[in-house]
Amino acid sequence: MQATQRKFNPSQWLALLILIAGSAIVLVPLLWTVSTSLKTPAEVFGDSFFPQKWIWSNYSDAVQAIPFFLFLRNTLIILVPTMIGTVFTGALSAYGFARFNFRGKQTLFLILLATMMLPSQVTLIPTFLLFKQVGLTNSFLPLILPAFFGGGAFNIFLIRQFMRGIPRELDESAFVDGANRWQIFSRIMVPLSKAPLIAVSIFTFMGVWNDFQGPLIYLNSNEKYTLALGLSMFKGMYNVEWNMLMAATILIMLPALILFFIAQKYFIEGISISSAVKG
Amino acid sequence: MNNTKSDRAGYWFILPWLLGLIIFTLGPMIFSLILSFSKWDVITGVESIQYVGLDNFKAIFHDPLFYQSLKVTFIFALVSVPLFQIASILIAVLLNMRSRGMKFFRLIYFMPSVIPAVATSMMWVMIFNPEYGILNQALSWFGIQGPAWLQDPNYALGALIVMGLWGIGNTIIIYLSGLQGVPEDLYEAGELDGAGVFRRFFSITLPLITPTVFFNLIMGIIGGFQYFTQAFVMTNGGPLNSTLFYNLYLYNKAFIEFDMGYASALSWILFIIILLFTLLVIRSSSFWVYYQGDDRD
Repeated sequence: MQATQRKFNPSQWLALLILIAGSAIVLVPLLWTVSTSLKTPAEVFGDSFFPQKWIWSNYSDAVQAIPFFLFLRNTLIILVPTMIGTVFTGALSAYGFARFNFRGKQTLFLILLATMMLPSQVTLIPTFLLFKQVGLTNSFLPLILPAFFGGGAFNIFLIRQFMRGIPRELDESAFVDGANRWQIFSRIMVPLSKAPLIAVSIFTFMGVWNDFQGPLIYLNSNEKYTLALGLSMFKGMYNVEWNMLMAATILIMLPALILFFIAQKYFIEGISISSAVKG
Repeated sequence: MNNTKSDRAGYWFILPWLLGLIIFTLGPMIFSLILSFSKWDVITGVESIQYVGLDNFKAIFHDPLFYQSLKVTFIFALVSVPLFQIASILIAVLLNMRSRGMKFFRLIYFMPSVIPAVATSMMWVMIFNPEYGILNQALSWFGIQGPAWLQDPNYALGALIVMGLWGIGNTIIIYLSGLQGVPEDLYEAGELDGAGVFRRFFSITLPLITPTVFFNLIMGIIGGFQYFTQAFVMTNGGPLNSTLFYNLYLYNKAFIEFDMGYASALSWILFIIILLFTLLVIRSSSFWVYYQGDDRD
């Protein structure tokens, strides 16, 4: 409050200087990557920061050399159902925990919280073997199906906390008017829980977009690769130059960055909440 | 509303999660526990699972690579966690200044945290390139001959730590929300008593955010045990196993060597280590839970 009224004093100038230097450290690698993606292969090995001429065709070359659109399609085939499953079954489970007093609820909720702390490595191998046993490896299903079973403990927790804040009178009066539980859920709770549901959708998008180990384990053939997996697999291939690889890297970053700039609020709140929960 | 019949409907709503718990968590945990006491060549069927008692664990405790992966993981955690904390606190304190432009800086610092780990890794493979990477070019302006970074066993782990420093936006945000919970009047009182900037930081700010520091410390160690993508993409554990993180070693055992029993045993050891650190957090929760009740904005 005070600083806005006063003029900057020397220590504040110093602070500003440090912040600017820090921002430069964050931004320069990114800018250099963009610049590399626009260079000729010869320039990549030179020492000039900027390309002589901006070669935008690197991008069109890159999306062909690395079958970008195929990988994008694969990523979306996983992404869309995963988001639907997470939001839908997550909201259902959250409603169950937020509004009902069935026997064993406290215990089950504690188990839910405990599973948040369980490292995924413990269930990774048996889950892989399970999918292998039923012949589903090298398909997208192992990456999609789990989302339809509650969509993750953290997401349920997030939605449940919000739903508990919705006044009970709203569903009680609907109940008196003859609405059943499903109608209360779909017509009152879900429309009122837009904020956490959007947050969960965004986290799910980021999770799938970034996921590397999952696709690495389950998808064996090139034509099934997701973007994240595909990008790394093309590192060091003979026909893929660094400038193209950086172009593809930028293309993979872009959707995540755009989403971040549109929905910063959710990212920043999500971080604060998860730091509060994961204790 | 209070009749038990309608409340039993709650089971229907949590059913998806409950089934998921059984199919994807409890079931696999039991199976994994069985596997960790077994020997199993995955190629043959389930019938060939053979109980071997503690053999896997005995083998692990005689496995130099197991100790190497523990060493790599702990060095990474013990160096990077304090380093990241100090840098994050510094930036968060500066960002907490009430002046214009802070939202903009906050955005910039947070940006690397939303970039997919694979993309970050590809980017830094290029940056760390000894000949044409920008890092060694920048060092050469100061007359420093940069090392071969990812190709040098003495520097590869350090390189990953440097890269991690680039992505501390998450931690900065956690500290920032902690700092915003520190009551303004404490600083005003400090200022009236003639405490300078540093005095105020060490006497007011730091004691109030120590719980956050502690929380981040533990989370950082847990994070070190789950570190995978960057190590896999950038160095694949090399050179000379200098970046063989625990999780990467586990992956290699399970999905390269298909030694599922051994890998399951490794995953339970990982679980126990993480559990110990988590219990530490929970036992100390009375210190840090206080902050989370304070809402910002």
